[in-house]
Amino acid sequence: MQIGCVQLLDFRNYRTLSYRPSGRLNLLTGRNAQGKTNALEAVGVLLTGRSFRTTRLAELPHWGAEAAVLTGELQRSEGTRAIRRVLQRRENGTWQASGESCPWARVIAFGWQDLAIVHGGPSARRAFIDGCAARLYPSHLPALLRYRRLLEQRNRMLQTRASAERLAPWDEQVATVGMEMIDRRRRAVAALHAELTRVYPAVSGEPQKVQIGYRSVVGEATEPAALVAALEQARPVELRRGQTLVGPHRDDLAIELDGVDARAFGSRGQQRLLALALRLAEVLPVTEAAGTAPVLLLDDALSELDPGVRDNALREIQAAEQVFLTSPEPLVVSGAARWVVEGGGIAAA
Amino acid sequence: MTYYPEPVARLIEALQRLPGIGPKTAQRLTFFLLKRPADEVRELADSLVAVKERIVSCSTCFNVTDQDPCRICADPARDTALLCVVEEPNDLLAMERTGEYKGRYHVLLGALSPLEGIGPDDIKVRELLQRLDAGGPTEVILATNPNVEGEATALYLARLLRPLGVRITRIARGLPVGGDLEYADQVTLSKALEGRREIV
Repeated sequence: MQIGCVQLLDFRNYRTLSYRPSGRLNLLTGRNAQGKTNALEAVGVLLTGRSFRTTRLAELPHWGAEAAVLTGELQRSEGTRAIRRVLQRRENGTWQASGESCPWARVIAFGWQDLAIVHGGPSARRAFIDGCAARLYPSHLPALLRYRRLLEQRNRMLQTRASAERLAPWDEQVATVGMEMIDRRRRAVAALHAELTRVYPAVSGEPQKVQIGYRSVVGEATEPAALVAALEQARPVELRRGQTLVGPHRDDLAIELDGVDARAFGSRGQQRLLALALRLAEVLPVTEAAGTAPVLLLDDALSELDPGVRDNALREIQAAEQVFLTSPEPLVVSGAARWVVEGGGIAAA
Repeated sequence: MTYYPEPVARLIEALQRLPGIGPKTAQRLTFFLLKRPADEVRELADSLVAVKERIVSCSTCFNVTDQDPCRICADPARDTALLCVVEEPNDLLAMERTGEYKGRYHVLLGALSPLEGIGPDDIKVRELLQRLDAGGPTEVILATNPNVEGEATALYLARLLRPLGVRITRIARGLPVGGDLEYADQVTLSKALEGRREIV
């Protein structure tokens, strides 16, 4: 899948923009604060309706604008399709995004915030695997939203020190939806692991053994009953704390390099490399699941990497279909379309 | 709102309190009403007052009605063995529109929602138990919404009613009739797959 053209109106620092990217690697360079990341973000919002940088829609429109409009054309082997997103301010001052999602459009984004997958807390890893699972299995996102709502309701029940009988309907649902989520996350991890063991050594140039595994409170169990049992066991503490303490919202990923926890190793470059490899490992499984290649949005993905590693990463990136890669300094890459981003405009270099 | 005459400002204010209506819409409705003939506006005002004065809650099923018991509860042709439990009067209307259901109803007037402080005592659960104790229904159809609150309500009721020995069923979730499989959302489709039936 490729995005053939993008038109923006009042999106971030772009007042108006009409941009025809290449169907392969697009290299966007330019000084800081000129709109490189914003351009990547715009492509992501256009395709998926979500930003990889923020969950707050109000940040996306140009300052002072009443609406932002993103339009474009999606191409895949069967033909082209026009897409459009509008961000509008509602009467009550909140922002609303409208526009239909294209069921097969997928975006994989990498940004500096992805370093947290490797060295941050478990929530960053859960967000990572949920994003990945949602790209592989479209029913994951609605399940996730449902689960969040369930937790809010159940936590409130716990805070009122409800009886087991009153908690039961919530426990039962937390267990069913929770196990559904755990199952999809496990399958996503398995798909990632297979690719990661290929991508990481190929990029690092070293034959290191990389492993990623799902760590759940229910261990390897697959039945909702296991989660019900875990909830029952945790109940005294949960009632005291007024919070649901077991379930997929407390699970974690274990990422290991040669048997050592990824959080433990030192170099920032190495952590960056691993975070990038995790994103690149998504490409193949997502392509297979969606039936068409995802668009890659790589924000400053190659900085802090050794020159050799950088070349390997570029080779891996160029194997993907359409890629948008930003870099503060010009990179020498054969076959890439070069663009200069300056002051809210994009011009061919 | 100092630049509006007082009655106009008051109406805008009042309309704004309605669900789904913001300041701009309230203003538009107000000026629309200003332009309409007096009779028409009086009729609207009368019907607003009438719903409040003449409509009551049925003391048996808690549906909205202008007579107690309501027409459905009073209808001898209705099957007393079937009792359909819904959250709101709107849901009852939706069921009625099918024209297929010939049993009776019980409107809970809400669903369990701890966040809003709604527990079993705040909806018509006790009244449901009393109706079942009094005998009649042999099957209770739980037709609460498929969201987390409706689901919790159905699960709660199922546990509560099980000892009574009545048959308890839950309405199926699945594909809209006349829809294309291709356009069904994934959750609906996976629920439909879960609830598949053998063709005989």
